[in-house]
Amino acid sequence: MSNYETYLLAGVAVPFVSFFILMLFGPRIGKPLSGWLAVAAMATCCVLGTLTLVGWLGEVDSGTAAELTAAAGESQFHWADIGSVPIKVGVNLDSLTVIMFFMVTFIATWIFVFSIGYMAGHSDEVDGKSKYHRFFCYLSLFGFSMLGLVISSNLLFLFIFWELVGLCSYLLIGFYFDKKFASNAAMKAFITNRVGDFGFIFGLMMVYFFLGTLDLDGAAAAFADQYASGTGLFDPSFTINVLGWHVSGPMMATLMGIGLFCGAMGKSAQFPLQVWLPDAMAGPTPVSALIHAATMVAAGVYLVARVYRLLTPDAQLFIAGVGCITLTAMALIAIVQTDIKKCLAYSTLSQLGYMIFGLGMGAWIAALFHLMTHAFFKAMMFLGSGQVIEGCHHEQDMRKMGGLIRKMPVTGVTFLIGVLAIAGFGIPSMNLGLGGYFSKDEILAVAWDRAGIGGEGHHSDQDGHHAAASGATAFDLVSDSHEAHNGDDRVAGHALATDDADHAGVLKLMFWCALITAYVTPFYMMRCWWLTFMGKPRDQQVHDHAHESPMMYVPLVVLAIFTVVSSYALFRPLIADAAPALTDAVLVTAYDGHADDANHAKGALINLHGAHDWLFWGVGWSWAIMFLVAIVIYRNGVGLGSKLKSAFSPIATLLEKKYYFDEIYDFMFVRGCRLLASISAFWDTYVVDGIIASLTSKATERFSAFAGRGVDANIVDGVFNGMAVTAFDLSNLFRSPHTGRIRNYVLFTAGAAAVAILLLLFFDPVPDAQAILTSAGG
Amino acid sequence: MLVRRWTSRRFLLTASAAVIVLSATVAFGQESADLKGVPRAVQGGLLEALLFYLFGGTALVAALGVCVSKSVVRMATWLFGTLGAVAVLYLLLGAFFLSAIQLIVYAGGTLVLLVFGVMLTSKSPWVRFECSKVEMAAGGGIAITLFTGLFLMLTRATWPASAATANGATVKDFGKELLTTYLVPFEVASVVLLVVMIAAAYLARQER
Amino acid sequence: MLTIGLMHYLVLSAAIFCCGIFVMITKRNAIGILIGVELVLNSVNVNFIAFDRYSQQPGFDGQITALFVIVLAAAEAAVAVAICMNLYKNINTIDVDRGDALHG
Repeated sequence: MSNYETYLLAGVAVPFVSFFILMLFGPRIGKPLSGWLAVAAMATCCVLGTLTLVGWLGEVDSGTAAELTAAAGESQFHWADIGSVPIKVGVNLDSLTVIMFFMVTFIATWIFVFSIGYMAGHSDEVDGKSKYHRFFCYLSLFGFSMLGLVISSNLLFLFIFWELVGLCSYLLIGFYFDKKFASNAAMKAFITNRVGDFGFIFGLMMVYFFLGTLDLDGAAAAFADQYASGTGLFDPSFTINVLGWHVSGPMMATLMGIGLFCGAMGKSAQFPLQVWLPDAMAGPTPVSALIHAATMVAAGVYLVARVYRLLTPDAQLFIAGVGCITLTAMALIAIVQTDIKKCLAYSTLSQLGYMIFGLGMGAWIAALFHLMTHAFFKAMMFLGSGQVIEGCHHEQDMRKMGGLIRKMPVTGVTFLIGVLAIAGFGIPSMNLGLGGYFSKDEILAVAWDRAGIGGEGHHSDQDGHHAAASGATAFDLVSDSHEAHNGDDRVAGHALATDDADHAGVLKLMFWCALITAYVTPFYMMRCWWLTFMGKPRDQQVHDHAHESPMMYVPLVVLAIFTVVSSYALFRPLIADAAPALTDAVLVTAYDGHADDANHAKGALINLHGAHDWLFWGVGWSWAIMFLVAIVIYRNGVGLGSKLKSAFSPIATLLEKKYYFDEIYDFMFVRGCRLLASISAFWDTYVVDGIIASLTSKATERFSAFAGRGVDANIVDGVFNGMAVTAFDLSNLFRSPHTGRIRNYVLFTAGAAAVAILLLLFFDPVPDAQAILTSAGG
Repeated sequence: MLVRRWTSRRFLLTASAAVIVLSATVAFGQESADLKGVPRAVQGGLLEALLFYLFGGTALVAALGVCVSKSVVRMATWLFGTLGAVAVLYLLLGAFFLSAIQLIVYAGGTLVLLVFGVMLTSKSPWVRFECSKVEMAAGGGIAITLFTGLFLMLTRATWPASAATANGATVKDFGKELLTTYLVPFEVASVVLLVVMIAAAYLARQER
Repeated sequence: MLTIGLMHYLVLSAAIFCCGIFVMITKRNAIGILIGVELVLNSVNVNFIAFDRYSQQPGFDGQITALFVIVLAAAEAAVAVAICMNLYKNINTIDVDRGDALHG
C-alpha cells in the first residue's frame, strides 16, 4: 500500500472520528468548540489531500503514477463474497480521485470555517436544547461519506457512501426541522433521490449479473472483454424476456448504463428529478454551498465519469439529452428568480446539466474539469449569498437589496469573481480567463465537434493525423479491428454501430441549446449580482443594517483566489491524466476532441479557442454581450425588468412556476394517491358497507323476527355463552403455566428436554460416537 | 453418637483435605520432568480408575448434598466439594491449567461471591424457603427421567475403544495457543469481564 | 468398568447436570438457583474437557471452550448476585417466587 492510499484512507477516517466524538460528546463540547473540532478534522483531511496532490503531481511528472494506480488495484482488501463474486474494498487511486479528494477537503474546510461564523448568528435551539453540535456532527459525517465515495474502487461501496451522503443531505436540509418547509424540503429531496437510486440499484444488479463483478475496473474490463469476444451481453443469441419484450444484449447494456445514470439523475438533480434541489435551499446556507452546489450534487457527475466505460453510445446519447434539457430549462428559470439562493440553485442545476451533457457528448475531461472549476466558484457564490442573507437579517429577496457593495465590499467583489467565472469571462485569443471560460467552452467545443457543425468534418481531419487515435470514435476502432479479425458480421456489432450521422439532427439541436444557454448564463448571473450589490438601495432598512464579518469573508477570499489561480494549469492536466484510455473505452465515444493526445492533455493552452473560428468568437464574447444586456435592463432596479416580465407574462409565469413540475408531480403522485384513497373509501363506504348494511342487516332483522325468543335466548345465547365460558376456561388453562416464576420455567424447560431425550431414545437409531469423534478429528 | 456428629461439615472438611492431598499427589507425585499429559503411572491403569471413582464419587455426592441441603450456606459448602473434585477430574483428563483455574476462579472467587451474596441479601444467613412437596416430586421426577434418558443414550452409543494417548501438551503449549490461535476470543473475554464489572457495579449501586 | 473411557465422564457429567437442574427447580432462594446453574456449568465443562482429551484431534479446542465457560460463569455469577441484591432491595427478600411480575 503506497503512502497515497494511506493518506486517503486516513483522510476518510478523520471526519468519521470527528463525527463520532461530536455525536457522543457534542453537547458537552459546547457551542463554538464543537465547530472548531469539525474544522480541525476537515483541515487535517485537507492537509492530507494536499500532501497527496503534491506527491501525486510528482509521480505524474516522473511517470510512475500508472504503476501506483495498478498497485492500488492489486492491493485491495477482500471483504466478502456475494454468491461467487468477491467484493473487494480498495482505494481507487488515480488522478481523478486525488484531485476530487483535494477539492472536497479544501472547499469543505473553508465552508466549515464559514459555518462557524454563520451559526454564530443563528438560533440553534429546539425545545431549549442547542443543536449546534449536531450541525457539525452531520457536516463531519458528510465529509466522511463524500470522501469515501470519492475513493471507493467498488460500485457497491460507492453505493453505500452514495446513500450516506444522501442521508447527510436529508439531515442537513431538514436542519431546521421545526420549520415545516424545511422538513418538507428534506423529505422531498430524500424521496426524489430514492427514485433515482432505484434505477441505480437496477443498474448495479445488472452489472453484477451480466459482468460478474462490482469492481469498477473489473466491470469495465469484463465489459470490454465481452464485447471483444462476442460473449455474454454481446452474444448474438443473447435475449432476455422482460415482461413480454425480447431485449437483446446491446439493448440490455444500454439499459444498464441508463440504470446507473438514474442514480446520477437523482443526486445531480437532472431532469426530471430536478425538483428537489431548489427546495433544498431551505437548509442552512453553508450546507447549500457545500452539499447542494459544490460536492454532493457533483457526485452524480463523478459516478457517470466512473462508469463511463460501461456506457453504450445509446446510453450516452440519452445522458446527453437529459443533460441538455436540464441545462437549458433550468437556466431559463433562473432568469425570473428573485430569491438570491434560488437563483444560484437554478444556476447550479444548469451547470450540472452542462457537466452531464458534456459527459454524454464524450467530453469526459471537459466535464470533470467543469465540475472542479464550478465547485470552487459556486461554493464561493453560495457563501457570498450566505453572507448577504446573514448581513441583511435573513432577507433573501433580491428586490429588497441593492447597493450592498458599499456595505459589503469583500463579499461584492468575490461574488463578482464568481459571476465572471461562471459566465466564462475571458479574453479570446489571449488565453486569459476564469474557470468557466476554459471548462464550459471546452464542453461546447466538443459538442460542436460531435455535432459536426464545423463543416468540413473535424473527424476525418483528425483521422488523417492520428491513425488510431483521437479522431475516430473508440467504437469504430474496435468494430473495425473486430471485423478484420473475425470477418463475420455480428448482430451485436450491427446493433451497436450507432453512427453519429444517425443522430446528427439531435446532436445539432443539443449543441444549439447548450450554446444559447451559454448566453443565458451571464445574463442571469449579472442580473443577480447587479440587483444585489449595485444600483440604489431599494429597502433602506435592510441597507442600513447590512454588515459583513471577517469569519465569513475570509473563506470567500480564499475560494476566490483559488477560483482565479487554480483552474487550467493544475486541474485539467490531472483530469486528462485520469481519463479512461481509448483502448479501455470500448463502445465509448471517448471523444474529448483530443482525449489521448498526451501532449495536448498535459495542458498546452487550449486549442479549441483557436481552432474553431466562429464558435471561438461566439462563445468567447458571450459574457460581455449578456453582461451589457443585463446591466442595461437592471441598472435602475427591477422596474424595466418587471415591465419586460409583464410583456412576456405567459412565459414568465411558466418559468416562475418552474414549468409546473411541482404541480404535475403533485397532481400525478400526491393527488393520484389521494384519489386512489378516496376511490377506495367510496367503495368501502357505499358499496361494501352498503351491501352489508342493506342485505345482511335486513336479512338478520327478518331472521330474528322469525326466530322466537326461546330460540334466541336458549339456543343462541346458550351457544355463545358456552363458547365464551369455554374460551375463558381454556385461556385460564393456558395461562396457568405462566406463573412468572423462574423455577417453573426451568421445570418446563427441563421437562421438555427430558421428553425430547426419551423420544430420541426410542425413535432414533443408536448414535455412533466413534464415527462422530473421528470425523470431527478429520 | 459418632454417626450423629458425622455432620456434613466434618465430612466436607475431610473430603476437601483428601482432595487437596490427592490432587497434589496426582499432579506432582510423578517425576516432575514428565508433566506432559497424564502422569504415566496413572494413565489408563487401575490407579486412574480408582481416582476417577473416588473423585467422581465425591463430586456426585457433593452435588447430591447441594440438592438436599436446606440452607444456602450449606449448599455453597457442598458446591465447594463438587468443584474441588471436578478440579481433580480435570487433572486426570490432563487439563492442568484448567484445574488450577477451576480452584482459583470457582472455589476461590465465584463461591466466595455467592456467600457474599447470601450475606448481603438476607437478614439471617440461615433463612430458608421451602418449596412444596409437589414441586419437589416434579423436579425429582424430571431430573431422574433426564438422567435415565441420558444414561441410556450414552451407554447405548458406541465409544472409542480406549483413551487416546496423551497429546503431550503442557501448560506452556496451552498458554501459547491461548495467546496465538485463540487470541481474539481471549481478548473478547476480557472485554466481557470489563463490561460485566461495570454492569454489576451499576446494578448493585446504591440508589440516590 | 475399570478402564475409564469417555463414557464414564459423560455419565458423571450427566448426573451432575441433573442435580443442577433439580437444584434450580426446587430452591426458592435466588442464590440457590445460582448454585444450581454453577453445577450445570461445571458438568458441561467436564464434558468439554473429556471430549478434548478423547478426541482424535490434537489441539485445545475443548479446554479453551471450558476456559471461556469458566470466565462466563464468573461473569454471570457477578451479574446475578448484583441482580439478587437489586431484587432484595426492591421486594426485601430473595425468594424468587415473590418476583413473579411476569405472571400471565
